[in-house]
Amino acid sequence: MPVLECKGLTKRFGRTAALDEVSLTVEPGRIVGLLGPNGSGKTTLIKLANGLLTPDGGYIAVCGTAPGRESHSLVSYLPERTAIPTWMTARQLLDFYGDFYQDFRREAAEEMLDHLGIQPRQAVKQMSKGTREKVQLIMVMSRAAKLYLLDEPIGGVDPATRDYILSTIIGNYNPDAAVVISTHLIADVEKVLDEVIFISQGRVALQSTVDGIREEKGMSVDALFREVFKC
Amino acid sequence: MLRKLLKHEFRATGRIMLPMYLILLVTAVGSNLAGRGMLDGRYHILNILGVLIVTAFGIAICGALLMSFVLMIQRFYKNLLQDEGYLMFTLPASVHQHIWSKLIVSSVWFIVTVLAIIAASLVVAYQGGFLRELLDFLRYFLEGLRKLEVSEAFNGTIYLAEFAVLMFLSLVAFSLQFYAALAAGHSQANHKLLWSVVWFFGIQFALQFAGSLLIIGSNELDVFNRLFSHWDPSPTVAIHVGLLMAIGCVIIYGAIFYAITTFFLKKHLNLE
Repeated sequence: MPVLECKGLTKRFGRTAALDEVSLTVEPGRIVGLLGPNGSGKTTLIKLANGLLTPDGGYIAVCGTAPGRESHSLVSYLPERTAIPTWMTARQLLDFYGDFYQDFRREAAEEMLDHLGIQPRQAVKQMSKGTREKVQLIMVMSRAAKLYLLDEPIGGVDPATRDYILSTIIGNYNPDAAVVISTHLIADVEKVLDEVIFISQGRVALQSTVDGIREEKGMSVDALFREVFKC
Repeated sequence: MLRKLLKHEFRATGRIMLPMYLILLVTAVGSNLAGRGMLDGRYHILNILGVLIVTAFGIAICGALLMSFVLMIQRFYKNLLQDEGYLMFTLPASVHQHIWSKLIVSSVWFIVTVLAIIAASLVVAYQGGFLRELLDFLRYFLEGLRKLEVSEAFNGTIYLAEFAVLMFLSLVAFSLQFYAALAAGHSQANHKLLWSVVWFFGIQFALQFAGSLLIIGSNELDVFNRLFSHWDPSPTVAIHVGLLMAIGCVIIYGAIFYAITTFFLKKHLNLE
């Protein structure tokens, strides 16, 4: 059973279609890049999968159920912006995730926080922007979820932090789960991807395996992206 | 899940309200001490200090009341409609549970604030014989209650219970009015706070208009006379009926706001 499935999914904001008849499936055990330029509909798709938006047409399911309370316990979501409460300390954040998610691996999170030198009594608001993003990622990746939806996890951070984020994702995700990484920074994520979905102006332009692109097109995903989305 | 939401909501709000109560207690103790000689005018400096402490107590009372009100709106706004909303609305909890956790916690803080102000006022009023006087008052009060007839005592207790329920439900409905306006305003793409203000006054106007129409319509159709022409209740029963009708109206009022809030959070959530 696919962990994420969309059929004819449509979402409009006023007269503009942010997503227009999108159909795709994501199978378990795959790391999928949701790639497209800014404003192509990547965040809208991820928000719909999280139940943060309601579709205007079509169908979307996570592990066979419509996004909602049940699917939230199966999906680990990293939003584009820092959503963790800044007044909380690292320990309170661990309590929070531990209370709400049965699949939260507290020991793994504590080990990663310790590795970053973050004290349990340190408040999130005392951390730098980059550290907050890392802490949020640690919380998200410390869950043994069925689907990880990561919205622009490497956007706006320095190259060293990008490497840290990607290694944290690869080193901590549940191998039976699927990981969807939304980004427009292709070159950085290409090495970790199994599959890509190109999304352009709210439509799926391409869904293929990374090996398939290399074999059939004879080019890297980054090169193909530049060709498809040439201005 | 509601229990967990309540736990974290109390944790989030307690860090603000508990220090407020501590300030209230400290200024109350200070005001009590100020009343024991600082304000008798013998020493100018002490006099000024005493006035400042009593003023601080007044400010602490206003601050605690204001803070419990601000917190009620601010928690809903910041925790559900701002960046934290991305985390909260992806928890395995329903929209209803989110709303109830906010409602219950803000109502509890309102009630605790009122009790804290009463307790602080007792601290200010405490003198050497104060406890004895208070106990005497309670004894007279209980003796007075014993002299009442059973029906009077029963009705008095029920009045108090009905009034307490009315006050509590009014508090909840009042909070829901703000939640409904914020939820509706934040479904817009831009100028979300401005839209929230528009919704607040829009809902207020619509309900007042509907209420006026209902009253005018009832008068025109002579509804009250038709309903109550054959009913001549005693004043005791009339007060009960009046209070119960007020409770019913507040429940309807609150239910409308609750429905608006859940509708927008479920169907038109539009986080930035």
